[in-house]
Amino acid sequence: MLDKENIELSQFKTLVIIFTIGSSVLVAPSILAADAKQDAWLSAILGVSISSLFILLYSSLAMQFPEKTLAGVNEIIFGKWMGKVVSLSYFSYFFVISALLLREIGDFLTTHIMVATPIHAILILFMTVVIFGTRLGIETVSRAGQIFLPLIFLLLGTIVLLITPQMYMENVLPVLEKGIKPVLKATFHFLGLPFLEFVVFLMLTPKINNLKKVRKPFLVGMFIGGFSIVTITFVAIAVLGASSIERHIYPSYAIARKISLGNFIQRIEGMVAGIWFISIYFKLTVFFYSSTLMLTEILQLREYRFLTLPLGMITILLSIVGSRDITYFNWMISVAWTPYSLTFGLFLPLLTLCIAIVKKKIAGNP
Amino acid sequence: MKRCLVVISILSLLLSGCWSRRELNELGITFALGLDEGKNGNVRVTAQMVDPGMIAEKTGGGGSDSPVTNFSEEGKTVFEAVRKITKDSPRKVYPAHLRILIISESLAKKGIGHILDILSRDWEVRSDFLIVIAKKQRAEQILKIATPIEKIPANSMYQSLTITSKVWAQSSAVVLDKLIQEIVSKGKQPVLSGINIVGNIKEGKNITNIQNITPNTYLKFDNVAVFHIDKLIGWLNDDESKTYNLLMNNVFDTVVNIKCPSGGKAVIEIIRSKTKIKGKVVGDKPNAKVVMNMEGNVGEVECNIDLTKPHSIAQLEKVFKQQETAVISKSIKDVQRKFQSDIYGFGEAVHRSNPKYWSKVENDWDKQYFVNLPVDIKINIKLRRVGTIGNSFMQPLRK
Repeated sequence: MLDKENIELSQFKTLVIIFTIGSSVLVAPSILAADAKQDAWLSAILGVSISSLFILLYSSLAMQFPEKTLAGVNEIIFGKWMGKVVSLSYFSYFFVISALLLREIGDFLTTHIMVATPIHAILILFMTVVIFGTRLGIETVSRAGQIFLPLIFLLLGTIVLLITPQMYMENVLPVLEKGIKPVLKATFHFLGLPFLEFVVFLMLTPKINNLKKVRKPFLVGMFIGGFSIVTITFVAIAVLGASSIERHIYPSYAIARKISLGNFIQRIEGMVAGIWFISIYFKLTVFFYSSTLMLTEILQLREYRFLTLPLGMITILLSIVGSRDITYFNWMISVAWTPYSLTFGLFLPLLTLCIAIVKKKIAGNP
Repeated sequence: MKRCLVVISILSLLLSGCWSRRELNELGITFALGLDEGKNGNVRVTAQMVDPGMIAEKTGGGGSDSPVTNFSEEGKTVFEAVRKITKDSPRKVYPAHLRILIISESLAKKGIGHILDILSRDWEVRSDFLIVIAKKQRAEQILKIATPIEKIPANSMYQSLTITSKVWAQSSAVVLDKLIQEIVSKGKQPVLSGINIVGNIKEGKNITNIQNITPNTYLKFDNVAVFHIDKLIGWLNDDESKTYNLLMNNVFDTVVNIKCPSGGKAVIEIIRSKTKIKGKVVGDKPNAKVVMNMEGNVGEVECNIDLTKPHSIAQLEKVFKQQETAVISKSIKDVQRKFQSDIYGFGEAVHRSNPKYWSKVENDWDKQYFVNLPVDIKINIKLRRVGTIGNSFMQPLRK
């Protein structure tokens, strides 16, 4: 039905890494610190560990139906029409995330770098590139990911390395001041952003070569990406202190601004902002591509490419009307996001997997 | 035809110019901001803008004009006042290169929390500038003084403060992040350095002031201002300022006069100093322990001591220890008594070691616990070298 694309396992791994770093590296430290204060890094570690369970869930689901995308799986499990309804709800989830990610990059740019520029201009330009990427197909995008990944790690490494002289371990102490409860609460909010969003990769699994071995690169990618976030969170707390991280909307940008080595290497935060452009681009493209693909399969269309332009326009509009202001946006991702994501990232896939296993058992013993 | 349309539409995107663009000649690069009390509870903002042409390396002529220009405006809020400056100035204030923020003492006494908000919120302001208090003076006046050697007063103050806090230890270089962190923290109160004008203000305003070899009027960093939360409550004296900086590990290099065992003076140059502050709760009483590990050289000898004998060094170390312990413990006691404001961060140390206890006492820490806090001081000093000569050449003569 759709043209044949192939993703190598190593490309899939890169995609997962960039996806995990995605927008989370920008906002996660402040969401984590809101509850866990100086233990935010602990919550981050905990979040990454718990999330490996999600990966197991998604990869087993993928291996049950190696030929099918999530939309196809839904139609097998829930029946044709019910399956389409479930797929449509997944589509809405992916599509809303696309819009939110777009808004995130727009908000970031208009807060820190191009304050007087109307957000529409940024959104349109960014979305244009995303549409280009989507039209070229996920294989091209994941190959591009392999080129950009070293750059992302170079830039991330640069911040962490250059900021170490300003780290004060006193800021990280005392550990577990208010007990384990706030840490768990923060972990909960961290799960929805980005780990539950991994469910989107179920749209890409049929394109993966050698799907049987997908579990390992999936896990490794998630751990590498997750620990990048842990590192950034830890560094941010050690440099600025928990109370300050909590106040900053983009804490990792704030620490990048503080870099000053011998009054010579300084004011490099603009370069560092590149990490977020690149990583959000890939995350957004994965979501946008998947939602386009989902809609194509629901409507049983032969081609997904002609959908990209209209859907892209809707994404831009949705990202503008989706949140009134940045306060609402931040409130939404810190309070409402994980419960919302749990529906699609945990409950529905879990239900699907259970039904699939039960069905197989019944089919096995007639 | 179709291709032509595509090209035109792409060009229209690219050629319509850019938003947010600002050319260098439109920026009023502001190196220093001064905040004063204005009339009727207003705040008066003084911005010191740099004239880029005047600070360029000798381009012939024009050297006698001032390299900076001050603009002052009053407003109900800081932001309003800053924007009002465009009424006087041809360029809009561009604070990304801000070096120093001067707050007048009278304003600081009423609290500085509300005026710091804009500085941490505004996207153009970075947090790497220093914050100082104009002691018994208006910030506006301080910014009017022409400075020698460094042409831009803001740069002069910035460098002077950075250097003096590292090698003399009686002032403290504080940046915005740290200040806000300390205002918020209940276990560590902020301090800021004071700056003062020495000499005649009227003369200092004139650029001719710095044409003298000894300027008649100059700026001087003075002691350290103590805050409680965000209000200025007093000033540390020389010893107290020095103690503060030693305890905070702000000092890299300082000199200490000591008395020789046989009378007379010697100078110890501290080349390394590392202080650890530990808090502990014994029973229901908190206490603090200060351990200072120092390394020093004998820098100057003006007394009768035989530096070729190993035990002389041990004697000097002993004298140094006794003398410094006395000075430091007196300073800490005085601060406890006079200000009741925990500028040393003993509270934070207790917080780190015993968070449960801290949550019970944090609200009364300064008034009830800090004032009576027993502080144990332990100094370890190693005198390693005596300079390029052994005994003073005066040694045989003194005998």
